[in-house]
Amino acid sequence: MNNILVCVKAVPATTSVQVDGQYRLKREGASLQWNIADESALEAALSLKDKDGTVTVVTMGPPKLEAPLQDLLARGCDRVVLITDRLMAGADTRATAGALRAAAKRLGPADLILCGRRAIDGETGQVPGELASALGIPCVSNVEKLEWEKDRLLLHRRLETGVEVLSARGPLVVSVCEYAYSLRLPGILSMRRARGKTVERYSAADLGLTAEQCGLKGSLTKVTAMESKFPGLRNGPKETDPAKGIQALRAMLREVQP
Amino acid sequence: MSQEILVLCPFGLDAGLLSKAAELLPGRVRAFVPAREQAEAALYGANIIHTLNCGEIVDEAALADLLAEKLKLWGSSIVLAPATIRMRNLMPMLAWKLDAGLTADCTALEMAGSDLVQTRPAFGNSLMASIRSLSRIQMATVRPGLFRPAARPNPKAEIIPESCHIREQRLRHVAFQPFSQGKPLSQAGIIVAGGMGVGSKEGFRKLSVLAEKLGAGLAASRSAVDAGFAPYRCQVGMTGVTVCPRLYIAVGISGAVQHLAGMSGSEKIVAINSDPKAPIFGYADYGIVGDWETVIDQLLKEELS
Repeated sequence: MNNILVCVKAVPATTSVQVDGQYRLKREGASLQWNIADESALEAALSLKDKDGTVTVVTMGPPKLEAPLQDLLARGCDRVVLITDRLMAGADTRATAGALRAAAKRLGPADLILCGRRAIDGETGQVPGELASALGIPCVSNVEKLEWEKDRLLLHRRLETGVEVLSARGPLVVSVCEYAYSLRLPGILSMRRARGKTVERYSAADLGLTAEQCGLKGSLTKVTAMESKFPGLRNGPKETDPAKGIQALRAMLREVQP
Repeated sequence: MSQEILVLCPFGLDAGLLSKAAELLPGRVRAFVPAREQAEAALYGANIIHTLNCGEIVDEAALADLLAEKLKLWGSSIVLAPATIRMRNLMPMLAWKLDAGLTADCTALEMAGSDLVQTRPAFGNSLMASIRSLSRIQMATVRPGLFRPAARPNPKAEIIPESCHIREQRLRHVAFQPFSQGKPLSQAGIIVAGGMGVGSKEGFRKLSVLAEKLGAGLAASRSAVDAGFAPYRCQVGMTGVTVCPRLYIAVGISGAVQHLAGMSGSEKIVAINSDPKAPIFGYADYGIVGDWETVIDQLLKEELS
């Protein structure tokens, strides 16, 4: 038996982004997609789940995520939960982890909690660790392969200099690398099973969270300024004579080589 | 209240970060380093040095528990760590325990009164955000190798040996398989990067030989990774690693926005491309218009002789 909880985030599908007066992302207009590493985590969960196990998905975001969550049921997830509340807007990683902890507690014990290793919008990768700490369990980050070894999990973790293999006993949080697993398509069987299932919606009050614990108010970091800074044109000289080019490159290499 | 910066480097010292801390709050820097790096910590400006003497720590959560206890005694007001993979896992756990705000992967730090202003890129490098912590303890991870180490010898630094007793082994180390290819990209001073223009796995082998000769890291654009020319861990850009070496040599890379996001922070960028209209030239400090193989072969020949 294993119960797996997967935390996913919807991110803007474009590379051009806009922020509002409080430096929050304008998400209204942008079309959203599941963060790429989170899709990896979803597939890892679906392939780890055994016959009696369940995969529950939780996300925090606007009501329009109901349809993409419904789609995850058709791909084989057993239960999908949407935390949605105006109070949650502008949450930093801490406020997000707080909301996820409350949802995880309410959903009942999970043997394994999977997240993507970072979202392509915020790029902090902090929520998995904060969530683990909030639940009092360990967290292993940057994992590219998970497999069962009897009652333990073998985790292949990609570090800067190589791959570390760890053996872990749940419950724990694992963050999964992008492209490690590619999310399966909806299947006929799971589509049939998904029929009649609906997206469960939690508000801040449902999770026992006060306005002070949510969103911008519940955050411990504050963006105080933001400027567009991408990417500076350098327009350096172009050399068409390879011999001269190589000579210049050599000089630059000498400058930086120890 | 008196301020103090704690620089956490339990898995290896980031001398540049320590120097930066000493510049921000001279004389009030505490470092937590492996025992073997005690002398280096004193050289780069630490006033109090906690030396960690224990075997390999596998469970970062257990170390976070230990540090949270220690911090209650130390009372540091700012906690900094290099944004390595392991520290980016440990710091959030510690931040939660300390009720502290945490900013990830900063590229600039400055003091404004008692506030630490943390600057970090968001959305690739398209936006730079200035962030302040609202908590008593201010925490940030900082892009590794970003600041240049500056010696500030401190022969009178106080040395405090620390032991760690990690009781329960919820995690066990099984094996470590090192990557064959050279330096980790986040720490490389020089990076040789290839794109679709390199054309094949064989082409990348050539770049890999050059990278090794130069003591450089090997990187690739997303399309080159997708084509199977290089493994994913080499991918630089929005969905790969972000790097800031002193010299970035872009070989056969056209310069898609997503790639630029991952490398436009490099100190110097050289582009080699046969297409004079390739966008990468606009973002390079120096461009060589021509066949990449001619250039690389010539460089290899010079390196060998």
